[in-house]
Amino acid sequence: MAEADPIGQRTDDELARQARAGSRRSFEELARRYKRRLFVYLRPRLGSDEDAEDMVQETFLKLYRNIESYDPAFRFSTWLYTSANRLAISSFRKNKVLVGSLRAEEAGTLADLGPGAGGQTDRAGLWEAARSLGVSQFRALWLRYGEDLSIDEIAVALGRSRLAVRLLLHRARLNVMMRVAPAPNGAKAVAKAAAVRGTARK
Amino acid sequence: MLCHLTRRMISRAEDRGKKMPGWAERHSARCGACREYARFAASLKERLSGEKPALLAAVPDFPLNEARWAEAEARRGNREVFGRRLVAHPFPVAAAALVVVAGVLILFQTVLREPSPSPEERAAALAGLRSLTAAPDDFMGIVTEAESALAKEREILERSVVSAVEYLQARLNIKIERRDPAAKSL
Repeated sequence: MAEADPIGQRTDDELARQARAGSRRSFEELARRYKRRLFVYLRPRLGSDEDAEDMVQETFLKLYRNIESYDPAFRFSTWLYTSANRLAISSFRKNKVLVGSLRAEEAGTLADLGPGAGGQTDRAGLWEAARSLGVSQFRALWLRYGEDLSIDEIAVALGRSRLAVRLLLHRARLNVMMRVAPAPNGAKAVAKAAAVRGTARK
Repeated sequence: MLCHLTRRMISRAEDRGKKMPGWAERHSARCGACREYARFAASLKERLSGEKPALLAAVPDFPLNEARWAEAEARRGNREVFGRRLVAHPFPVAAAALVVVAGVLILFQTVLREPSPSPEERAAALAGLRSLTAAPDDFMGIVTEAESALAKEREILERSVVSAVEYLQARLNIKIERRDPAAKSL
């Protein structure tokens, strides 16, 4: 009878402590658990899936190099996303990858996320709606609801104040609701009045 | 406006786990759109968590580049070996540090240190100083000239006052005496 791999049953924080003590296998397990999650987090600001993959690889390499600096008092996910955020910012500054996606963000939408994620609208409809928000709002939502981080932890990861994070989340909720829920009666009336005015002019 | 504030309070309650203020609850009970937002915000965690596996499943799979980790590990190992060597053999390291410090000092003394000024440079500097000290003479001359003009004005004014006094004495048959300025101040 094959014995279950105990490493797969350990918590992230246990694995991170073991990785800090020098266990490469624990780090590999952490990377395996987080690579897709990190991809989702980083993807909206980047131009392609390949760029996002590169950024994920870079982030894990950086974490592995600096694993001694991990403080077990914090959750591993907070440390991971903080490092990813910093690395992404410095990489954008260096390579100017940001230009295209910034324009998209200014326009209120993000670049298309590619065919890999496009066919899941009916199954991950809310996340798809969230992806159409600005990068900051999407990241705040992801960290809050995707990773279950507290407001304080999100503030650390994003390098913002708690108030700014709460505001981001509030706006994100309003925007997601506007995208997925039907317009309220008041908005319908305004839209109808505008349509009537348009017809009268014609 | 009230809807805007109420929704802000709903979000705040959601993030901080605190109760909403009474006015916001009352408004929420009356306003359908705010009630809808409250329901949506409360259900968001469950809904997004439920959709997370589908979102992650849609991410294209890619292998992690573990070869680079091995390089990083080797480099870290080298760093550790170097650190251990430092601890194990402190005297050669201290000697090397001394040689480096001595080298820097010699470099500073011979190459980077500024040479002392030549006699021509000193003479030029002194001439500059002299030109500076000569300036007050001109200044005093200008001041004296200005003062002499002022004294002339005063003289003319005094003469005209004296002649006016003489005229008044003769005309009105009175005597006008000049007061002592010191007595006036008393």
